[in-house]
Amino acid sequence: MGWEAIQIEERASRTTVEARLLSGMAPTDLSVVEAEWASERSLVVQRLLQSSVPRRDWPQSLHWNWERKSPALATQTSTGFGVVCEGKWQGVMLTKRSPYTAQLDSCRGAPLVYIDFIEVAPWNWVISGIGRTGLYRSVGSRLFWKAVKQSEEEGFRGRVGLHSLPQAEKFYEVGCGMTPLGRDPSKQNLTYFELSEAQGRSLLNRAAPA
Amino acid sequence: MTNTEAFDGPPREWLLRAAELEDECTSISVGGLAVDLGLYAADGAGRQSGAFGRFVEFARRAQGLSVERLAEAAGVDLAEVLAVESRDAVPRAEVVLRLAQVVQIPGERLLELAGLASPHQEVSEAAARFAVSARTTAPLSPSEREAFDELLKVLLAPTEG
Repeated sequence: MGWEAIQIEERASRTTVEARLLSGMAPTDLSVVEAEWASERSLVVQRLLQSSVPRRDWPQSLHWNWERKSPALATQTSTGFGVVCEGKWQGVMLTKRSPYTAQLDSCRGAPLVYIDFIEVAPWNWVISGIGRTGLYRSVGSRLFWKAVKQSEEEGFRGRVGLHSLPQAEKFYEVGCGMTPLGRDPSKQNLTYFELSEAQGRSLLNRAAPA
Repeated sequence: MTNTEAFDGPPREWLLRAAELEDECTSISVGGLAVDLGLYAADGAGRQSGAFGRFVEFARRAQGLSVERLAEAAGVDLAEVLAVESRDAVPRAEVVLRLAQVVQIPGERLLELAGLASPHQEVSEAAARFAVSARTTAPLSPSEREAFDELLKVLLAPTEG
């Protein structure tokens, strides 16, 4: 737990900038996140409306409110991760160590890190319909990788599971190498994705066990 | 901010590729706070029902409330009530739930009407009929009253399943 130095990319200049990743966010941190992001979300909505962007192309997390998730951090099995750059939260992720277990045949029933929620700040969203290119990139990728790292540290060998919103499925399947395991009726029919131990090792630059 | 540690980072090639895909996807969000609240439907989420804003307007007028008074009673910003009634914005779930208390409709039913939860078939059908029938902003005519009452009846009926 604590802060670590990372680097993210500023899109406009294509330069790398220093940021910090916090493991172990407090409930009050989520209140700050919501305070910082709410007005930007409203601005995005206004621009989407002004530009008559079809609702299907709106960011699907537009309704989220991170402050509502503050109670989740009071549980022993949840951990909050956040990226800070230029004094603002650029992305947030909440993970759980239980009660979810692996669904892949190769490791069915084994413990894993489940990504409960993940989102990047609204000013980092890329929305072509309103010409928004986003301020910083790779924030979500950094957070996802941190979940894989957490899985290794917990002894879960890089196993990670999550239910993706439809807009994000390509990122997790193609970008992260996760395996889609079908829609889950218990999660509003969102598709469940899982990262295998082998896929986790690849992301962590670890050699396969002898 | 203390306790800064050396970073054991991801492979650079993977990070570059993943970042490109982040850009393509608009959102990389998972889970969904809305899922927790029962507010998100994977099929067609984010659409405000055409009937919702008009229903709120009719419910307000049926109670003889001004927009300002409704906003005050619900404890939400006037601008948000105006946005709801003008059907210009996707309502926030919190706003819908607060309005539900004032117009005395079960919150989960009003969320369905707002397009923030998967609607039961009877709600979808009643909402569609209401959206067609209710088109003016003048005082409720008998036919508007009938359309409004019909939808109201469905929304107040006990939930099945």
